[in-house]
Amino acid sequence: MSLNHLPASSYRTEGCTLTGALSVTTQIRDAITVVHGPSGCTHHNFSLLHATSLDHDRVAIPPIISSGLSETEVVFGGEGALDRTLDRAISREPAAIFVLSTCIAETIGDDVAAVCNAKVGVPVIVIPTAGFLGGSFQTGVNNALVALAGMAEPSPGRKGQVNIIGEKNLEYEVDENFAEVTRLLSLLDLSVSTRFVHNLTAEEIRSVGAARLNVLRDPSLIPVGEYCKERFDIPYISGFPVGLSGTITFLESVGAACAIDPRPAIEAEHSFEQETLGDFADIAGHEISFSSLFPVQDGERAVRDIARAFRLDVIPSGTPVPVPVTPPVGITGVRRMLHRWRRAIHA
Amino acid sequence: MKQIALYGKGGIGKSTTSANLSAALSLSGCDVLQIGCDPKRDSTRMLMQGRLIPTVMDLVRERGAASVTPADVVYTGFNGIRCVEAGGPEPGVGCAGRGIIATFQLLEKFGTLTGDVIVYDVLGDVVCGGFAMPMREGYAQEVYLVTSGELMSLYAANNICKAIERLSARPRSRCRLAGIICNAKNLPREEELVAEFAHRVNSHLIQYIPRDRTVQLAELDRKTVLEYEPSSEQAQRYRDLAARVMENTRFTIPTPLEIDELESLARQFV
Repeated sequence: MSLNHLPASSYRTEGCTLTGALSVTTQIRDAITVVHGPSGCTHHNFSLLHATSLDHDRVAIPPIISSGLSETEVVFGGEGALDRTLDRAISREPAAIFVLSTCIAETIGDDVAAVCNAKVGVPVIVIPTAGFLGGSFQTGVNNALVALAGMAEPSPGRKGQVNIIGEKNLEYEVDENFAEVTRLLSLLDLSVSTRFVHNLTAEEIRSVGAARLNVLRDPSLIPVGEYCKERFDIPYISGFPVGLSGTITFLESVGAACAIDPRPAIEAEHSFEQETLGDFADIAGHEISFSSLFPVQDGERAVRDIARAFRLDVIPSGTPVPVPVTPPVGITGVRRMLHRWRRAIHA
Repeated sequence: MKQIALYGKGGIGKSTTSANLSAALSLSGCDVLQIGCDPKRDSTRMLMQGRLIPTVMDLVRERGAASVTPADVVYTGFNGIRCVEAGGPEPGVGCAGRGIIATFQLLEKFGTLTGDVIVYDVLGDVVCGGFAMPMREGYAQEVYLVTSGELMSLYAANNICKAIERLSARPRSRCRLAGIICNAKNLPREEELVAEFAHRVNSHLIQYIPRDRTVQLAELDRKTVLEYEPSSEQAQRYRDLAARVMENTRFTIPTPLEIDELESLARQFV
């Protein structure tokens, strides 16, 4: 039984399990996600996903429908409502259906798996996502990715390219960060096979087992990396490159995992790093302080390293410079952050 | 208006006691409403000549809450006693506790909760918040515990004391323990034991009801004892209970026992 724990902040990575899972399943274009719960659970999340995609200049209608539980279903059980909602979803001929549970469904003890197992002709995948059980947004992401990976079969012997696992689909820079990792992989003559999961079809999920390496978005996805290692025999790198030294380490790790000599790539990246130091020479020597909406935790070391490399003094009275929620990815990410620092310093 | 709730271990005789108490109260001239708050829905059967009346939750499920009327849920039984069964989901699905809450809201809306006395007959144990509903503000202020001298039955009664203690601590709560009814198994020294238990939990034994074959015979004839054999000694016990309930002014906040206290108490009366 999970205990009441108050989150340290209301930042959405600590939020609801259901939202985390939806940020994954709604990326499957030809699937439908059924949220088994009151309509409010769907409305909130639909609004969040829709507003976030608009904020990122994408117009996307998340394919979600609700089983619309009311007090009647709470008292008499919601399995009938789920069954009818599944039929409604099936009538739209999706390639797959994901069924996400909610606090109410788990509290009254509906046997969601039994209702879903009775459906034939279309894959119906159950992902437990009741938030009150203590899971976070990240738990929902991980549960959804593991459930989706379960749809793919191992392909022994077939060693393709590199999968990107667990991109933060709700972060503004999701595509920029992906582009940076793609650039770094290309320095090693590697390319991306599947963005697992970002804007995919259900069919494309099936090839996720054929990669030679998985690159996780960040270490909170290690349970997913471990699952794929076990199921598909694919090794993984536990996170996107963070900061300057992290970028070099990333190239070394990927090279080692794929038996590719990383030295030419590292050399090329070193010169890009030098070029970057030159490009931002004008901010060197200034006094700054970190300004963030949220406490800088994971990325603090990387951000301090960057400040040190540019000979910036971090003191409480320094000019506040914005620190992103997630630390900058690769040298391109560092450059993007430095542009914002420069604006703050020269303001 | 007096509102009383009977709680106790499953199978201890809450429904039998409730129905006979309602019958006795009614015969003494009170306008009585009995509400069965158990999905098993057999609380009012002996008041309805053995008939299992449609439950509020069944009607809501079949027709939707909007098309259920007061006349659909209230049935008049023995001596004009109005009978309601809350009902609930099929065993093994849904949430019966929420069903009780929904029933109370509907009865409140209908204005059904009227009369001189309302008797709430609640299922075995206060398993969740829903089954504490009859004890909450606006409903029963007097809770009677039905128990025998058997340890498991006392244990259940003690547990319900914990619920009453918790609820009575809330602001504006008027829920109190009103007394212990001993529905006996005819064990040796049973009345003494239950009286001592009542004393220890800061209450009193309001009525001792011996085990009597008349009760079984009356039930086989689908009647309360008051209707089946009004001149019997057993009928008199229920009339005494009814009179004491109406005169009772001793409403307390209970002091539940620890399990080992309860066991050593039971051992003293073996």
